[in-house]
Amino acid sequence: MTDESSPHRRDPIKSSVGNAAAERRRQNAVSVGKERRESLMRAKRFCRVGVSTAIDDNDDSPDHDMVIDEEESILEAQASSAVEELKAAVAFQGKGAVQKKISALQKLRRLLSRSEFPPVEVALKAGAIPLLVQCLSFGSLDEQLLEAAWCLTNIAAGKPDETRALLPALPLLIAHIGEKSSLPVAEQCAWALGNVAGEGEDLRNILLSQGALLPLARMMLPIKGSTVRTAAWALSNLIKGPDQKAATELIKINGVLKAIIQHLKNADDELATEVAWVIVYLSALSNMATIMLVKNNVVQLLVERLASSNSLQLLIPVLRSLGNLVAGDSCTTYDLLVPGHEITDSVITVLVKCLKSEHRVLKKEAAWVLSNIAAGSVEHKQLIFSSEALPLLLHLLSSAPFDIRKEVAYTLGNICVEPVEGDGRPKLIVEHLVSLVNHGCLSGFIELIRSIDAEAARLGLQFMELVLRGMPNGEGPKLVEQEDGIDAMERFQFHENDDLRNMANGLVDKYFGEDYGLEESSS
Amino acid sequence: MAMEITQILLNAQAVDGGVRKHAEDNLKQFQEQNLPSFLLSLAVELANDEKPVESRKLAGLILKNTLDAKEQHRKYELVQRWLALEVAVKAQIKACLMKALSSPANDARSTASQVIAKVAGIELPLKHWPELVGTLLSNIHQLPAHTKQATLETLGYICEEVSADAVDQDHVNKILTAVVQGMNSSEASNDVRLAATRALYNALGFAQANFSNDTERDYIMRVACEATLSPEVKIRQAAFECFVAISSTYYEKLAPYIQDIFNITAKAVKEDEEPVALQAIEFWSSICDEEIDILEGYGADSSADSDIPCFYFIKQALPVLVPMLLETLLKQEEDQDQDEGAWNIAMAGGTCLGLVAQTVGDEIVPLVMPFIEGNIARPDWRQREAATYAFGSILEGPSPEKLVPIVRIALNFMLTALIKDPSNHVKDTTAWTLGRMFEFLHDSTLDSPIITPSNCQEIITVLMQSMKDVPNVAEKACGALYFLARGYEDMDPSASPLIPYFQDILQALYAVTHREDAGESRLQTAAYETLNEVVRCSTDETAPLVIQLVPHIMTELHQTLDGQKLSSDEREKQNELQGLLCGCLQVIIQKLGSSEATKYVFLQCADQMMSLFLRVFSSKSATAHEEAMLAIGALAYAVGSSFDKYMPEFYRYLESGLQNFEDYQVCTITVGVVGDLCRALEDKIFPYCDGIMTQLLKDLSSNQLHRSVKAPIFSCFGDIALAIGENFDKYLIYAMPALQSAAELSSHTLGAVDDMTDYTNSLRNGVLEAYSGIFQGFKGSPKTQLLVPYAPHVLQFLDSIYAAKDMDDMVMKTAIGVLGDLADTLGFSAAPLIQNSISSKEFLRECLSADDSMIKESAEWAKMAIDRAISF
Repeated sequence: MTDESSPHRRDPIKSSVGNAAAERRRQNAVSVGKERRESLMRAKRFCRVGVSTAIDDNDDSPDHDMVIDEEESILEAQASSAVEELKAAVAFQGKGAVQKKISALQKLRRLLSRSEFPPVEVALKAGAIPLLVQCLSFGSLDEQLLEAAWCLTNIAAGKPDETRALLPALPLLIAHIGEKSSLPVAEQCAWALGNVAGEGEDLRNILLSQGALLPLARMMLPIKGSTVRTAAWALSNLIKGPDQKAATELIKINGVLKAIIQHLKNADDELATEVAWVIVYLSALSNMATIMLVKNNVVQLLVERLASSNSLQLLIPVLRSLGNLVAGDSCTTYDLLVPGHEITDSVITVLVKCLKSEHRVLKKEAAWVLSNIAAGSVEHKQLIFSSEALPLLLHLLSSAPFDIRKEVAYTLGNICVEPVEGDGRPKLIVEHLVSLVNHGCLSGFIELIRSIDAEAARLGLQFMELVLRGMPNGEGPKLVEQEDGIDAMERFQFHENDDLRNMANGLVDKYFGEDYGLEESSS
Repeated sequence: MAMEITQILLNAQAVDGGVRKHAEDNLKQFQEQNLPSFLLSLAVELANDEKPVESRKLAGLILKNTLDAKEQHRKYELVQRWLALEVAVKAQIKACLMKALSSPANDARSTASQVIAKVAGIELPLKHWPELVGTLLSNIHQLPAHTKQATLETLGYICEEVSADAVDQDHVNKILTAVVQGMNSSEASNDVRLAATRALYNALGFAQANFSNDTERDYIMRVACEATLSPEVKIRQAAFECFVAISSTYYEKLAPYIQDIFNITAKAVKEDEEPVALQAIEFWSSICDEEIDILEGYGADSSADSDIPCFYFIKQALPVLVPMLLETLLKQEEDQDQDEGAWNIAMAGGTCLGLVAQTVGDEIVPLVMPFIEGNIARPDWRQREAATYAFGSILEGPSPEKLVPIVRIALNFMLTALIKDPSNHVKDTTAWTLGRMFEFLHDSTLDSPIITPSNCQEIITVLMQSMKDVPNVAEKACGALYFLARGYEDMDPSASPLIPYFQDILQALYAVTHREDAGESRLQTAAYETLNEVVRCSTDETAPLVIQLVPHIMTELHQTLDGQKLSSDEREKQNELQGLLCGCLQVIIQKLGSSEATKYVFLQCADQMMSLFLRVFSSKSATAHEEAMLAIGALAYAVGSSFDKYMPEFYRYLESGLQNFEDYQVCTITVGVVGDLCRALEDKIFPYCDGIMTQLLKDLSSNQLHRSVKAPIFSCFGDIALAIGENFDKYLIYAMPALQSAAELSSHTLGAVDDMTDYTNSLRNGVLEAYSGIFQGFKGSPKTQLLVPYAPHVLQFLDSIYAAKDMDDMVMKTAIGVLGDLADTLGFSAAPLIQNSISSKEFLRECLSADDSMIKESAEWAKMAIDRAISF
């Protein structure tokens, strides 16, 4: 605001170097810090997804650190030159040809394993696949096979199109998981195949038609650490379905069931996790597998795992397997989980443990298993009713996330009715109903009626019907009214879903018709 | 209620220090005891024409200082204090101020104008003083010219003080009308005209609507043109200042006027007085700024900023503009090179010429070459200097293809001139021009290098010799060497042609730092920074020479720490030197620490180095502190986890660095050093984290701390979490709310200004880096579940910055990385949340198809993590 200073005075073009240089140096110091933070974060992300970390990279070269920092473009340039080198090596016939090939493969493999986002696209464009297929030809040295399979593994870990690029290599990869192959080679090939199988149904079908199932299943048989794990993982990808044929076929293969049982009994958590995923798909897709698994005491083994482990990674597939077995075959519930048997109590105990867990998935799956058991005999219902699970379920009905509440509602609803015979209305177990209602579960069900999810709403209405019909002394309507149930049902008066509309309107007409309230005032 | 304070105010300006002190104390006491009465007394004093002008002026200044302060926090307090005053008191004060505008005493009026503007700055946005503008405008029609002048001045100050949206368009129209009328050549009073012209300068920002209206714009432009013809130099200068402001604010409206403006500015540059000519040149520099910006936007094909088209004014004016500027170069002042603050027509002309070269590129070269060739060998030093300066100025902008052939020929000439020319001024500009050649045309990636094995030796020899010349020439020679070395930075250092001369260069630079007159012309700074650059280019082969340098630099630093009594001037120089030496050690540590072989050698003196750095903290200089901190950061990284042993002693300096609100750069750098320590010490930093986190959180909650420190503090949370992992859990309840509130604040850009967008993005980036660090730190730990409750907010934040559509690439990359980290760490616990977020859909998709490879990489990682999280 003073008169003297002129507002426009810029820095002269001719200035001394010191200030700018010092500024640049400090900026540099600051940006070095930023870069280090960045590379630390990237490294942490990288080491978690690293596809090849399980295999010792014993020829780790000293330039490792530098390459991570390099620009993608440099990496890409290196990748395409590595493919060129491999091309030359494959074509080369003279002395040391094999060594040349191996070292070219190593170079390519390192590039493909090094960065979190390997230059797969460039390698493919440069024509890597046909070369790698050639390197897989029979009679090649193990080292060469291993390197080639490793390259393919990393390529298959890429984007869908990149995975599909492996098609020409599949027959040879499958060939090398046969019994004659050395274990490291077989494992690496299984790894590549597992990546391919995980990509999609069409690829699974191709692999199955090319005979991948049997050799992979055999790899699961011996106890050989990471080989078994890799094979189990690849198998679980391969039998994912939705077609159930592979799962049924797998369980029929000689020794597979025995191996599964053995691993489930003895293996460490990591291997058990992969095996459990195999069981998940077997039990989800194949009735035959379910029956065989149940018969061979797998339920007991799953329960033991659930009781002893705290590894979430493991608990999830184990619990889901258990649920599949209980849900998939009514014999399980009726013949095996007989109330009073020790196994039945242990199942309830582990399910209670899961219901108490902090993990949403465990809670949900446990509630689902319980709902299947609750669909069993009257004794089953009594068992759950008198178990530690009941207060937990009641609590979850009022507080858990929606999907868990729904599973819980199934269970609680099932506890209150006898098994249906014929097609009449289910008979009530009044004692259970009264007790649950007294514990305040009606509001939880009415909450479900208000849900936009039709299935949940139906559950709510069904339970309300039980209350209206079954509560002694005609108390039902009053209770429902107190909990704003009429209001909740009125929503369905003109609902587009016929079932729900009829159900709700029927209930309103029947229990809250013209006479409702008159009785009360006249009495 | 007002008190008589004339005598106190006069005493407060007394020559006798005792009297003055006493008066100042009285004023302070008065202010503290009864603020309303104090302010009113000041206003009454200012308005009273019977009082001496000295006391009135001081009263006004004190009043002004009770309304505004530079420091944001203080300013806020003052504003609140004013607003809390009783309405009646404020009304009385304002009435006094308005009255003072009519005072015959110029100083009283002028002071009152400024105070009114300050009050307006507080009250207009709150609509507390709606009648102000109306009252002022009614003054315009009053008779005494001095009232009119003061009123226009006040309007100008108000426009400077308040933002455009606080004044409604009707008032803006009236203000502009009044201002333009006051500027008119028919206005008899020069004072009124000057005040009006200056007011226009401030009011331009308000005139968007008026500049969109052809008639009004034509009128404003015509009046401004007329004002440049005023016989009064100050009016002409103010008028050109208006044109400068118009050139940047209304560039796109200039086309119809540019020819006339060129004629007016050319005349001013040629024959007007210097202050006017400087503004006339500045007009063209400012047009260059605009066009460079626009053309850069074209190049970056960003559709966002290019809504203003380029009118290529510079290109069109080139044939006349360049000769006009070249003419100015001959108007040098003797010895301007020894004067750091010098600014004159020649300097402004050369600077503008450089901007023109950047704007038009190759086209300028043929227009300048004849001038260079015609003057470079003349007996008059002015001609040689002007020719050299012209050459140096156009080296940035034109293509290497165009310049390299010319530079090749000129190089030898320049090398000779640098040694042989009798004029220091010519040598100074010659060395600078060599530096510009190396800065812009010497780069290891260029196909046809200007420096070859055959001329390299000569260049180095000449520069080393020139470094012994007078300080200003030596400083420029250091600069040339700096850019010479920098040009080799990106190449394989062992192939650098400097390597054979490495020892000579180090010795020469070291000798320069020891020159008696190294303190002049910033020679010492240039020499050290050049030394640093040379060290950076060192190779395994030359590492022993750098190692030899270490004890020397350490000894120097040691000597500056000797506790001798120094004058404040000497102390300042010594602090500067400490900063330079710490900076030099920082570069050396970085360099030697990057290779195992050399690291081992210098680590042997790590203990002594560290104790020297710690002693630097006893100085009071902020710059020295910053440099010592940076050096310690570099040392920590090089030493790694055994830096632990220095922590007990270093910690208190670290803490006080984090507490340094005043020199916020020190604070920023210290925050960065905490990051270095985290990476060096990893979990060994845990014992210090309570203290560090406490301090960082205090910093965040303080409104005294400069806002630019906040983002680095958030990033630092991430560093700490990465280092200590799940142990960070105890800080979650403090850190997370701080992050959340910053996240909310930065969800939307805090203002329309570009500057604010940058700030918002830096804040976002800091917050995101913190989240990444925390998620990564907790990954795989049983405490992971503690983070689940925060996940919804984090995702919401990601969604909201995506929705705001104004993030930069950096934020995009970090944000999508956070999404991945969240999915990776929380897994299926967060799966439903993730699936419901926009980030996991549109945002992720956009990032996956981004051009920037880093964004793409982060996005692919995030996708993988999400796929795994939701596959359960």
